Amino acid sequence: MCFKNLPITFDDNGKARLVDGVNDPYAVAVAEPRDYVRGALNRRSAGALAAPPRLREWSIDPVTRVAGALAVHTVLDLETRTAVEAHSMAMLFRGYEIILKGRDPRDAIDISSRACGVCGGVHASVSSLAIEMAFGIKPPPLGVCVRNLGEVAEMFYDHPLHLGLLAGPDYSTAIVSVTNPELVELASKTLAPHADVHGYVTIKDIMDALNPLEGSIYLESLEYTRIARKMCTLMYGKYPHPSTLVPGGVSTTVSTTTFNEYYANLGLIFDYAKRLAGIWDDICDFFLEANPAYSDVGLRPSNLIQTGIWDDLEVYDATYANIDAWGQARYSAPGIIKEGELLTTKLTEVNMGIEEFVEHSYYEDWTANGNGNGNGHMPFPTDALGNPLSPYHAWNKETIPRPEGKNFKEKYSWATAPRWDRTSMETGVYGRMWTTAMAQQLPDNPYIEATGDGLRMLLPAHDLPETELFWKVPAKLNAFERNRGRAYGVAFTAAIGMICLMQAFEYWRKGETRVSTPFKVPRDERVAAGFWEAGRGYLTHHMHMDKGRLLNYQINTPSTWNASPRDPFGNPGPYEQAIMGTPILESVADDDIKGIDILRTIRSFDPCMPCTTHMDTGRGVITREVNSCGCTLE
Amino acid sequence: MAQYTKVAPGSTHGEIEAKPLITDPADPLAPVALRSPLRPKRSELVSQGPLEKAYLFWIVGASCDGCTIAISGATHPRVEDLLTGRVPGLPRIELVHTVLSVESGPEWTENLRLAAEGKLDAPYLIFWEGSIMDETVSGEYGYWMGLGEDRSDGRQITSLEWLDRLAPGAAAVLSIGTCACWGGIPAAHGNPTNAMGVMDHLGKDYRSALGLPVINIPGCSPVGDNITETAAAALLFLNGLAPLPEFDELGRPAWLFTETVHRHCPRAGYYEEGVFAHSYGDKECLVELGCWGPIVQCNIAERGIVDGHGGCMNMGGICIGCTMPGFPDKFSPIYERPPGAMLSTNTNRVMGGFIRRMRQLSQTDKMRSARWHDSRDLPSGWGRYKTQPVGAERLIHRLYSRKQHSHEGGR
Repeated sequence: MCFKNLPITFDDNGKARLVDGVNDPYAVAVAEPRDYVRGALNRRSAGALAAPPRLREWSIDPVTRVAGALAVHTVLDLETRTAVEAHSMAMLFRGYEIILKGRDPRDAIDISSRACGVCGGVHASVSSLAIEMAFGIKPPPLGVCVRNLGEVAEMFYDHPLHLGLLAGPDYSTAIVSVTNPELVELASKTLAPHADVHGYVTIKDIMDALNPLEGSIYLESLEYTRIARKMCTLMYGKYPHPSTLVPGGVSTTVSTTTFNEYYANLGLIFDYAKRLAGIWDDICDFFLEANPAYSDVGLRPSNLIQTGIWDDLEVYDATYANIDAWGQARYSAPGIIKEGELLTTKLTEVNMGIEEFVEHSYYEDWTANGNGNGNGHMPFPTDALGNPLSPYHAWNKETIPRPEGKNFKEKYSWATAPRWDRTSMETGVYGRMWTTAMAQQLPDNPYIEATGDGLRMLLPAHDLPETELFWKVPAKLNAFERNRGRAYGVAFTAAIGMICLMQAFEYWRKGETRVSTPFKVPRDERVAAGFWEAGRGYLTHHMHMDKGRLLNYQINTPSTWNASPRDPFGNPGPYEQAIMGTPILESVADDDIKGIDILRTIRSFDPCMPCTTHMDTGRGVITREVNSCGCTLE
Repeated sequence: MAQYTKVAPGSTHGEIEAKPLITDPADPLAPVALRSPLRPKRSELVSQGPLEKAYLFWIVGASCDGCTIAISGATHPRVEDLLTGRVPGLPRIELVHTVLSVESGPEWTENLRLAAEGKLDAPYLIFWEGSIMDETVSGEYGYWMGLGEDRSDGRQITSLEWLDRLAPGAAAVLSIGTCACWGGIPAAHGNPTNAMGVMDHLGKDYRSALGLPVINIPGCSPVGDNITETAAAALLFLNGLAPLPEFDELGRPAWLFTETVHRHCPRAGYYEEGVFAHSYGDKECLVELGCWGPIVQCNIAERGIVDGHGGCMNMGGICIGCTMPGFPDKFSPIYERPPGAMLSTNTNRVMGGFIRRMRQLSQTDKMRSARWHDSRDLPSGWGRYKTQPVGAERLIHRLYSRKQHSHEGGR
């Protein structure tokens, strides 16, 4: 029984249904969002506080060293040295799915890829999966394998880019010396435990190497993204925006060279993965030991949602009927973790619990709860297997964009607020490893073992010797564990790359060299969804087509979950939740505070905003703002 | 000109004190425009040109960040080479970019404000990524793309407003990628934002401070090297070291975008011989699977996508016309054969088919060494091979050889 908030129950055969007698099962009772500043100011005027609160407003617009347009509004309490308020704002809207409406469904592969230039490969892939489900076609094993290998390579570029260029500088000598000079001093006297792996003698040597534009880790990570891209283009042709993903497999012209060149580069990645794990272990442990309060930076409950990635070559059949089976056979397991407990690994249950709310987003509610601009239609009360769906589910969604001025009590983001079982869920590479570790469903293989409390990974020798790494499921989900998880994620991905490459050689040897399957675009009505993961986790495309044309195409991305604004119930999204309560641990005077721990928090999620905000497939009706009343301040 | 947003109703600006702006030039989190003057100048005996430094404002509209990713993969030169001023003759680039800048928020935005007020210590370039979205249709207070808050009144600034404020003073404006050049996917049929390219917005009369119209480097995403090479070529010209790069009538670097991608395609030989792929994954010419290469101006076939590797048709992907102003609507449905290909591929099936057979005939002779020819034997242990042509084929080879060596007096 995985649902606590939605009235969904399961019968003895495990079949889901709505609880009997619930009048309006998906009713939404809108709650007024908490307003910390207003509350504090009121307390001051009422004389309830001994001294006036020392609050500082900080509108981080734009947040840099993230992909895409993100702004975060936060309030710092200098008295307690804590961030007390946060609003996460997706700043860009392009309307991709309005553009997709009415097109040939196959066009979704190339067009949805352009939703995100950072992770275009995953969009093209998940779009292929959705179309395969809609068309009823199954790619040949080598086609699945090439897709897996391309996706492995995409992660090799994605994680180093974040660790080296985006997050890394926040832990560099250059920046730490203006926020916590005492830590730089301490770092210079602290030997790096993994010096034999990465070659940096002291922690300060690592921090020097993280310096932007000059440090060797910074520069090296750029170079490794290029190695990864070369690997990726072997499978995907082009990067960003692959050119060889098609429904029913790939159009890559695979040759012996394809796999040999991939293998040659994979060796470089094995060593890089060993070094990255050592570097980030040393950095994270140094900070956490120097001041245990760092474990509260970016802390939020361990609530994670993952859709799984890297299909089993034989089990994957693209059907919705078998979705739980092929989902669970994935090398990276789908699943829901709530308060650190694995609730399910079934994709039907993941799918069933998803709702997207727009109470605080620049859209209008399209359901019967809306104020009339939506038509309240709900074409899919259940999925094809009879599982109940919410009117806020992607297949039922009809979004009406409504650009207006930001107002934290009302609307302030172009991102919607996806929730699972009405709970704010986070997703990421660490979530991927987390579900895989706890699910313990990995097929027998020499490279990864899921132990329930972590992942044991064996990386073959290259220049560095054969190395066993163990990533332990963290006790607390905070900024440091997100980064550490991402570093270990390179090793996790490399191990999966090795498994998939060995399979590719095997099929190549057997002469099963087909990579695509023939198909015709169906003319009848079809409903389908693709479930896959981006570098940052969860990714779905839900589609509805008829007469060879798209009627509805919905994209939901990891950063839509992570960057989401408050939901109608007043609960903050993951960035917001992680920022609120984050301590300011800088050792400088009030006016010199940089807010680095807030920025570390945001960046630890590896925000990727381009595709966060293009969820709409509405009727293309733009409702312009008519309300210019300033009465929203109590 | 677009309308700029007003202060939104319900703004809480000024209710509590704002976190102070970091302005100490020694602080790595201060605006780079303040930090940069303190950075050491080059000390060289031979000057490599008057321009030691330039600011680069990389600003995005309706973008996916793909062009940013593309330029970070460039290798000739590398983006870090430009940022460190490591290439002789190229100025050091001080980059202001949301993905790569060290500073955030108000400090980041301060760079743009200083540039707009003419307070930088060096010239600046604008690299614009993504389409321009029409902010006159996003309401009085709303925005399609917000970028920075006005510190004086809390007003949301749009990225488009920055383009309007910065373009007149920029040394050059470069549109990076198809969205910025021509509008791209955000400007496709059915779009709600009235999106367009930079040229569409700034107009044909726009000239930069150096007198240049908008330079366009298309591609979705472009080849990274096409971006860095064009930037480097322009900067070398400004430093008096290289000739003025040539641009075509659409403002594209002429040396990169004049040829069709088909002319350099590794599969063009199949086309010539009339052999076409029928399934995804086939090694032959992709035109019948929907490839538009024969009419698309792009250099990815010879340049690859990263460091000479990859490339659409090179690896098996059809050309979807992503560098062209008509992309995507004039190239869709993407996976259907272009109607014009019916005529051209069938013509080539007939002509190319004949030529291919003639070539195969010629090849059987050239596959034999002179020794094998004379001994009428083939020493390979790899398989059964027809050792000698007989009959008409032998006669043809003899006549062919006589013609080939006729100027040497025959053989």
